[in-house]
This record gives sequence, structure tokens and C-alpha cells, in this order.
Amino acid sequence: MKVFIDPPNSLVLFDLVERFGHEPLSTMAAIQERVDNLEVDMPPMNVTLDDVVKGLKYAGVEVPSGVRGRLALWGPMIESADAAIVMDDCPYSFGCVGCERSNLMVKYLIKRRGIPVLYVTYPEDEDQATNFVAQTKEFLEGLK
Amino acid sequence: MSEERETRLFMIAPDSMLTPDQLVRMIHAFGEEALVKETCYGCLVEGPRELVLKIRDRVREKYRNEVFTKIRAYRCSDPRRCRAQHGTRPGFAQLEEEWELLTRIHRGLDRVDAGAKYEPTPAKKRLPVNDFKKICEVQE
Repeated sequence: MKVFIDPPNSLVLFDLVERFGHEPLSTMAAIQERVDNLEVDMPPMNVTLDDVVKGLKYAGVEVPSGVRGRLALWGPMIESADAAIVMDDCPYSFGCVGCERSNLMVKYLIKRRGIPVLYVTYPEDEDQATNFVAQTKEFLEGLK
Repeated sequence: MSEERETRLFMIAPDSMLTPDQLVRMIHAFGEEALVKETCYGCLVEGPRELVLKIRDRVREKYRNEVFTKIRAYRCSDPRRCRAQHGTRPGFAQLEEEWELLTRIHRGLDRVDAGAKYEPTPAKKRLPVNDFKKICEVQE
């Protein structure tokens, strides 16, 4: 099953989803598509006109262009996801920093899809990490 | 996901005894035709997707909970990203954050393999005003 991860560039979440037998949907795959197939100078800093139009589906025209650009990458992935894992209470510099509004919008889009979602908290110590891994494992093994 | 090319990043947990050099030598010893580049945190492997996944599985067989991996959008040594080619390496802040977290995840995975289960922790409750008042009075 396709599992969307939030933060979408997280190594830990990507690894755990793969480890427990599912396909993670991440920013890296979306950017790789643009690196390989499009002649864009430096994705995701530069986007195509199509990306801007795609972003309009998820955020209005009055929303800052950065939010639309991010959602042009993440929006289609959320639409194709069968489940999602969201990590809450991350430190400031963990995940896609720079636009909290985009992150909130992603959480809203996931909720609106109505797919199974696991909300986990950022582990601060070993016991919390054990709980985090066990909880993720149970959730991913339950997705059949 | 692209089937033609996959660049995969392997990161070693900080508390592991494995070094990036050992990891790269091990991958070279597999004898597969993939590009392997040693980095400060582990290594990058690039090749056709099928081949890279095969290498990932073989690394996991040996270092199951010590080596973590994810895909990378840009190719190895891409001048837009690689520091050796004066690139900006904008993703490194995130890698550094996760590197610090990997020790905990490594131990968590070991414990889960040993049979640990998820135990929900009770949510923190709000402190009643009267209790808070008592604490303040004691401190005075």
C-alpha cells in the first residue's frame, strides 16, 4: 500500500514504512521525477507552469506562491495515498521548514481524504522511541 | 517512482560500530554494477532501481537496525547539490537532525525485535488552579 509520510522528506519515516513492507510517498520521489524528466533549473526551488496550476487545486490564488508550489508536489501524493503517518511535535528544524501554513494544509488534506492515519509524536528518549517504532509497526502491519 | 535510476542514501546510526568505509567496502564486495560514493554519514548508491533494492536488502540482512535508508532526488555528484562541486547541499540540515535521532530509533527497533509492544502513555492533564496555588504558596 502507498503510505504518505509527514514530514515528507523524513529518513526515519521513509525507512520504517519500507521496512514494514509498504511504499512510502515522499518529496524525494516527486522531485526526482522533475529532475529526470523536466528541464527545470533547480527543483523544488523552480517549478513549471503546470505545477502552479496543480497547486491551485489545493490552495487559493491569494495564498502565497510557496504554499502552492509545495502543495503541487504533495497534493497529488496525498490523493494517491492509501494511508498516512504524521509526526507531531517535531523540533523546529525537522522536516520541511519555512512554511508552517503548508504543513497545516497537508494535515488538513490528509484529514479530508479520510484514509487511515497514524499520528505519532517525535521521540525524545529511548522509551518514547520504542513506543514510536512499535506503534508504527502495528499500524503498518495492520494495513492489508 | 522511476524504474530507470534510483539514488539511495544509506545512513549509519551514530552508536553503531560500523564506519562509512566498511559499509562502502561491503557494498563493493557484492560485485554489483552500481555507483557507490562514500560520505560522512554512510554512502550513496546509484543504479537501476531493481539493483539498488537488491543492495538495500543485502545491507539490511547484515546490519538490520543500524543502517537506515531513503531515496535521493538528485544524482550522485550533481553540481546543484554536491558540496565537492560547490553545490549548496540544502538538504543537509534535515539529515543532521535525523542523524541525531537514529540512536534512539536503532535501540527502539532492537527492543521491538526483542518483543517490546506499544504501551500508550497517559496524556498530560492540566493542573487545577488550586493545586498550582498550593505550589506557589510553598515556594514563598
